[in-house]
Order: sequence, then C-alpha cells, then structure tokens
Amino acid sequence: MIQTINLQKLFATEEVETTALNGISMDVKDGEFVAIMGPSGCGKSTLLNILGLLDNPTDGEYNFYGTAVARMTERQRAQLRKGSIGFVFQSFNLIDELTVYENVELPLLYLKTPADERKQRVEAALERMAIMHRRNHFPQQLSGGQQQRTAIARAVVAKPKLILADEPTGNLDSKNGEEVMKLLGELNDEGTTIIMVTHSPYDAGFAHRIVNLFDGKVVTENFHV
Amino acid sequence: MLTNYLKITFRGLAKNKAFSFINIVGLAAGLSCCMLICLYVYDELSYDTHHPDIAQLYQVGTVFVNPDGEEKTAATPYRLADALQQEYPEIGSTTRLVGLFGDDKTLLRANPVGNIANSKPAVFYESKGYLADPTFFSFFRYDFVEGNPKQALANPHAIVLSETMARNLFGNQSALNRTIHIESNTNGVGDYTVTGVFRPGTVPSHIDARFFLSYAGGGLSQYINGTTGMVSNNMFFTYLKLKPSTDARKLEAKLPAFVEKYMRKDLAVAGRDKKQFLTAVRDIHLHTDLTHNVTPNGSLTYLYVLGSIALFTLLIACINFMNLSTARSGKRAAEVGVRKVLGAEQASLVRQFLSEALLFSGFAFVLALGLVWLMTPVFEAVSGKTMHFSLGQRLGLVATFFGISLATGLLAGSYPAFYLSSVRPITVLKGGVGRAGGSLAAVSLRKGLVVMQFTLSVMLMIALVVIARQMNYLRSADLGFASAHQLIIPLRSETAKTSYPALKQALVSTAQVRSVGASAYYPGIFNPEDARLYGEKQVAADAKVTRMNRVDATYLHTMGIEPVAGRLFSVQFPGDTSNRVILNEKAVKELGYPSAQAAIGKPAIANRDSENYRSIIVGVVKDFHFEDLHVPITPFGFTLNLNGNYNYVVVNLKPGDMQSTLQSLGSVWQRFNYAEPFEYSFLDAEFQKNYEAENRLSTLVSYFTFIAILISCLGLFGLVSFNVEQRVKEIGVRKVLGATVGNVVMLLSKDFLKLVLMAVVLASPLAWWVMHRWLQGFAYKIDIEWWYFALAGLLAVGIALLTVSFQSVKAALMDPVKSLRAE
Repeated sequence: MIQTINLQKLFATEEVETTALNGISMDVKDGEFVAIMGPSGCGKSTLLNILGLLDNPTDGEYNFYGTAVARMTERQRAQLRKGSIGFVFQSFNLIDELTVYENVELPLLYLKTPADERKQRVEAALERMAIMHRRNHFPQQLSGGQQQRTAIARAVVAKPKLILADEPTGNLDSKNGEEVMKLLGELNDEGTTIIMVTHSPYDAGFAHRIVNLFDGKVVTENFHV
Repeated sequence: MLTNYLKITFRGLAKNKAFSFINIVGLAAGLSCCMLICLYVYDELSYDTHHPDIAQLYQVGTVFVNPDGEEKTAATPYRLADALQQEYPEIGSTTRLVGLFGDDKTLLRANPVGNIANSKPAVFYESKGYLADPTFFSFFRYDFVEGNPKQALANPHAIVLSETMARNLFGNQSALNRTIHIESNTNGVGDYTVTGVFRPGTVPSHIDARFFLSYAGGGLSQYINGTTGMVSNNMFFTYLKLKPSTDARKLEAKLPAFVEKYMRKDLAVAGRDKKQFLTAVRDIHLHTDLTHNVTPNGSLTYLYVLGSIALFTLLIACINFMNLSTARSGKRAAEVGVRKVLGAEQASLVRQFLSEALLFSGFAFVLALGLVWLMTPVFEAVSGKTMHFSLGQRLGLVATFFGISLATGLLAGSYPAFYLSSVRPITVLKGGVGRAGGSLAAVSLRKGLVVMQFTLSVMLMIALVVIARQMNYLRSADLGFASAHQLIIPLRSETAKTSYPALKQALVSTAQVRSVGASAYYPGIFNPEDARLYGEKQVAADAKVTRMNRVDATYLHTMGIEPVAGRLFSVQFPGDTSNRVILNEKAVKELGYPSAQAAIGKPAIANRDSENYRSIIVGVVKDFHFEDLHVPITPFGFTLNLNGNYNYVVVNLKPGDMQSTLQSLGSVWQRFNYAEPFEYSFLDAEFQKNYEAENRLSTLVSYFTFIAILISCLGLFGLVSFNVEQRVKEIGVRKVLGATVGNVVMLLSKDFLKLVLMAVVLASPLAWWVMHRWLQGFAYKIDIEWWYFALAGLLAVGIALLTVSFQSVKAALMDPVKSLRAE
C-alpha cells in the first residue's frame, strides 16, 4: 500500500513561487481504484507524478509499499519504478519509430525478461487489449482508441502493482473512452491498484473513491461502494 | 535491446532523410578528407623505411663555417669516404652517390636490335641519373628484375636502369648486356653496358633515381682524380654502413678530430673552415634541413599544416553531428521521457545514443571509403605523389580509418548521448524540452560550435587569399631579367654543343627571333659553379661565395639583364674572355667596393690552391633573381667564354603565333642536330617550377577550404531548419500580427549572422598569425592587407546568408493558418 503524509510541492522561478501541493496526506490500499479530480492547476498531475516516482516532493513523506521514497535520487526512484508502476497518459506517449508490438515489449526489455517469456507476455497483453491484429503497425497508423489500448497494454505487460493514469480518455471520443475505462476496471477487478487523474465525472464513476483537490489541498473524499 | 536501438535508428534515419543525409554526408566528407591526408602523411613518414640495414645507415653531412654564418649541406668531398673507412673500424662499408647535376636531362641512345639498316636508334632524354660506387646496392634496396645488384656497378661503364626506361629503350627484349651511348654535361660521353634493371619501389626514398652509372671511368672521376684533398669538390653524397651496435653519436663525436687530422692544413691555406656530421638515413626526408641533398627534403611543417587541416575538417564534421543531434533533442526528448518512465536507466540511454552515433559514423565510413577511392587519383595529381600500398598496408589503413571513424562517432555522439539521456522524464512529459529546443546551456554550446566551425572556415579562406596573393606575387614579381618570350633549348649532346655557333647564326636570322644567347645555367635552375671572391682591400678570409655562370657575348642582352655601371660583355673587347668578370650589385658590395661605379676596373680575387687569380670587373649588373623568391639575392658573377661548353641556348622571341615560331625553330634545330629531337621550354614556366610545393599547397588548401565551407554550410543549414521548426508558431503569430516576409527572414537570419561575424573576428588574428609564419619562408613576400580579412568575412557572411535564407524564406512564406494549426 502507499501512503503520503503532508506532501508539499513548490515550484519556484526567480520571480514567483507557486505552491502546487499544500499538505496532501492520503492512503491508497492494495487493489483500490482511486480517482483524483479537481479544476485545472489544482495540482492533480503534480501529485500523480510524485506518486509515480517521477518527481520528489519539496517536503513531506511518501511511503511506497514500505519504502520511504521522498528523498530518493532519480536513479534510485528509477530502480524502484521499473516493473512496479505502469503509466497511461492522455497523449498516449507511444514511440513513433516502434511498432505496436515493439512499444509494448519495451518495459520487458528494460527488465531484461528472457526472450520467450517476453514474447508470451507481450502477445498476452496485446490479446487482452484486443490489439493483436495491429501488432506490426506504427502508432501513426492507429486510431486514438487503438493507441491508448496499446499504451495500456504497455502499462500492464510488466504486471505492475500500481497503474497511474493521467486523463486516459482525454484525447478519445466517448465510445473509445468507455472501452478504455472498462479495461481499467477489469484490471482493477483482477487486483491491480489504479490511481487515475480525470476531469470526467463519468470516468470517476468507475473508481471506488474520488479525491477532490483544490489549490493543492484535498477538499473532499467520496466513496462508492 | 540492441536490435531495438538499431530499429529506432534505421526508422529515424528514413523518417528524417534530410537530416540523416546532412549528418552522414558531413561526417563522410570530414572523414574522407582526413583519410586522404592520412595517406599523404603515411607516405611521407615511410621514406627509406624499406632498406634492410636502415638502422645502420648514415649520411655524412658538411657544415661550411663562413664569416657570415654556417651552411649545412649533405654534400661532401670525394675522398672523405675512404679516409673515414680507414680511420674508424666501426664503419663497415661506405658508398658514394652523385647526381648528374649538370644535366637537366641526359641523352641516352640505344642502337636498334638486329642491325636493321634503316631503323633509327632509340634516343631518349632521361632525368634523375646518378653515379654510384659499386657498394651502392648493398646499402639501398632496389628490386632487380634483371642482373645482380651485388655485381651491377662493380665494373666501369656499367648502367642500371629502371624497368620503364628499359622498356622505352629495348621494348620487350632483355636489356641485360646491351650497350647504351650516353652524353652527359656532367660525366662526358661514353658507351655503357646494362648490368641491371630494377623495378621502381613502392616505398618512397630520398633517392629518386631512374638510372645509375658506375662512377669509375666517367668524365667526373677523371676530373676528381686530378684533384687532391677534402676542402673542395663538395658534391658527393657519402653514406656509411656502421657495424651492428655501433653508437653513431660516439662516432660523430670523433669527427672534429678527423677534420683536424685530414683537413686542417688545407683549410687553413684556403682560409676556410668546416665540420662534418652524421644524419640517419631514415631521418633524411623529414628531419633535416640541409641545402643540396639528393632530393629536396619533405617538410615536417607541411605535415603539421595538413594534419591540422585533417583534424579541423574532422572536428567540423563532429561539431555538425553534435549540433544536429542536440537540435533534434526536442524531438528525441519525448522518446527519452517515455523510455525513462518505462524503466530505462541513464546508462542504457547513453548506450542507445552512442550506438546510434556509431551506426551513423559506420555509414559515413563506408561512404568515405568510396569517396577516397574516387578522389585518390585527383589527390595524387594535386599532391604530386603516387601512392602504392601493399595489401597488408591497405588492410592496416582501412582498419585505422575504421578506428578513426568509430572514434569520431564516439566523440560526436558523446555529447548528445549524455545531454539527452540526462533529461528528467517529468520535464519531458510536461512538454518542457520539446518546445524550447534544449536548455540555455545547450543552446549556447550549439552557438559556440557554429562559431568555431565558421572560424575554421574563415581562417582557411583567409589563408587561401594570402596564398593566392603570394603566388600571384611570385608569378608577377620583377625578377630583374626578362622572363617572358624566352625559349630555353638545352644543348645536351657533343654535337649540339659544338654546333652552337652555327645554330645561333641560323636562329638569329629567323624572322620571329629577336636575339640569341647561350650559357652554362639560367635563372631558376641550380647553378652549381661558384668562386670564393674578395676585393682588393680584403684578405682571403673575407672571401664570399659567389655563384658563377659562363655565358656567351649576347647572353646578358638576350636575358635583358641591365648594367648599372661599366658595360656588358662584347665581342668588340677580345680581352673579355680572360680574367674579366661582370658582377651583380650584391657581389660588389660584399667585395667592399663603395659603389658599382667604383668597382669598375677593380679586381675580384679568388684564391685557389694557394694561388691568387685576379679578374677585373668590367661591368656591374642590377641584382636579379637567379634563384627563386624563397631566398635572398646573393653574390653572382658572369664570365665570358666564347668556346664555352654551354648547356642552354636562350632565344628571345617576338610576340606572335607561337605555333609557327616553334615549327620554324624546330626545323632550324633539325638542320644541325639530325639525330636529336627538338626540346624546349619557356623560361618563365621553368622559373615557376620552383614554386611547385606552394602551388600544391595552394591547390590542396583550396580543396579543403571548399570542403570545410561545404561542411559548415551543411551544419548551418541543418541548424536553421530546426530553428525554423521550433519557431513555426512564433512565425505564424508574428505574421498574423502583420510581419512581412522580409521581417521574418531578418528575424531568422539575424542570430546566425551574428555568429558568423563573431567567427570572422576570431579567425582574423589567428589566420594572420599562421599566414605571417608561412610567409617567413620567403625572402620576398607580400604584406598581409586588411582587405584579405574583409573579403573572407564578406564571403563567409554571404555564404551563411544564402544558406540561412533557403529555410528562412520558406518559413516566412508559409501560410500562418497552417503554422498555427500545426501547434
């Protein structure tokens, strides 16, 4: 499980200092599906980046599955990140020069997974996301929905404990958006912890719990049962 | 993982064709330049490395100690070798070599095979003939295709030929034991038996011989036999083969004692002094600075210059690679960010980018090899070298070049690799790097690199201007004699020499001829004869080396050499033929006479074999350049010798149809010299041959300047393209707000022009310093003027502007709606 205590994040330039996160304390249990909502600039993505070990907080504690990570270097965080967190972005962030198959394979390459196991797991993930038939295509040849399914396949292929999704349906039409949310729901049902930033109340409806942020603070938490 | 990198690289390469092209072609151009220069340097460094006993071979040199300084030369007297051998047991053997220095070419005639009555004998003029001792081929390796090197020069009147010459003279038949009739200014006339034929070696040597004659028995040996001592006749090259494990330095330390024992008495009588020293044969080509060696030295300085050019072009190519790679970082950063999020560590990203750079340099290597293969003949023509390499050498060179290419790839790829891989994923995912085109540090580095490569290009351009001006000066400088319309006809055979008076008569009466003269030597070629002269108020020790030329009565008129006092030689003064001399102004001054006028009627005294020979100065001529403009004018004198053994006829022609003139002169020549072809050259062209090295340098530098500018422009072009790409939105907004095409072009060009101007400012003093040093090699030279720098600067700015405008005009003309939508 993951836990934050009084997270602070300041962005300072020479002229101005902006408080992005102002004392966030939250717990996420194993197998939970949490949605983070709030207006633009409230600190949602900043929080997600810190939770995803892409960034350090300015102050406060962050306990990632029993490890205190708030003061870790980028290198240490990268080690911890590898294989334990999957990311899904609004803009998909697929590598243009690689095919669908190769994009999905990439996390396993960095984990030095043996070739035959790699093949098996990539194919399983592609099968699962119903994108197998486009395995040899390049991202530009796919629809938005197909690209995001590829991105989700890439996020799950290493079997991470945690999936972080930053507005996963933001660039999709409603039909494809629905499909992506169903996939995330299914993954959660199978036990994967999911934290998702979203603007969409409909998408947030798939979560067990909604955390509302405003000006870098948690203002309300709603629970679905 | 590697396949993943390769895939990315190949697909990226195909996707960004223009940039891949610029990168690969730029690297290949830099590499091929570097390779060609490496070949040249390698060739220069391999001189004389093929002789089996090279470590034991030494050449004896002489230092003439004159009142006004020392002169170091490779020339030694004939008897030195035997005396050294007798004195020092550590000398295993000696050999001597002397060029046919009085012949620009030597006449060789071979009678036809099988005595066919009506077939003409084969007559050839050959240069590069040498007289050598019997031991010569035990010192220096020549690959004989016929004959035995050990015995080849054992007997008098033997000749050893190059294979090419043997073919010319005897066709496909064996040349061995055939007779060749030779007429030489230096060694007289005689018949020689072929005792060997050698195949020209592939390794260069300081001895560039095409044929060897045995020294014994020829005209020169007869002359030398009539002389004694080791003070004069310094015209032989003496080589020693030391016994194994002899320390050459220790032997050299004993030479002053040798000079004391064998020469001191004679030197004292002559009022002269000299020293002897040793030079390792393998050092002769590049590490000596002696006057009159067998062939002119190579120049270590030129090698350094060329080496720097090679390094410069390679550096420029590397800089482009770095520049383009970092400029693309905006695009690549997104990929890096994703990879990092997916678990890539910095090390693996560094590996990825380095392997990408290596792959690029691999492509460039293959392309460069192709370019080198295509360019080698051109390069050989420009550099005046023929390059022969064995298979082993070729493989070695290719391996070295491959190494250089990989090193280039690593160097060029290292900055992008570390820069890109250090990008923090969070910045990328926020879209930070992609928009700005890199951090401030990266941008200033990139600008710095552009400044650097333009600095190099501008330096080369300035160098080119200075070299061109100096070459133009060398061509057009007043030499002090009339060099235009002067035809030189060599008199090589006995027949030609003796028929000169009749030939002269016939030539003078030819319509196109103004005047005709003859002499032993003419300006621009080596003038070996000299006398040590002093004035009436001086003593023998004051004597100055004065170069002497034997001329006929009309030579000085024909050459347009003018008197400043007294008169020129004339047939009307029969006394001119004995003990009369005409000196140049420099000689008169050295002889201590207050003015040219004051010297007329005064003596010029030479001391030979402890006797004084007095010549009366009848005329003083203006100083003229009897040598090229590398060296200052030194004392020079003429003597009149009506029965002279002249080597050259000088014919002053009227301007007009050269073709018909040459035809009529040719038929006049044939009347008196039936058996010999009519050969001629032009004095001005012959004089220019002294600047061959500079001409080559100039051509080489112009090639490299072209390539350096090309590479710089490729780099600038790439950079501007990226700049435009990054500023598409800005351009759109500006156009919507009313900017004209001119405004936008200005906006985009301004930054780059500033960099180029900075480069001009940096390059100017550097180029001045380098070229100032180069000009020190000439006694007569141009001043470096301010407009050379202005011209180079203007050219650089113009070229940069043209390069930038390709992209900036295109960007400025773009529909703003499109560019805004692209965001």
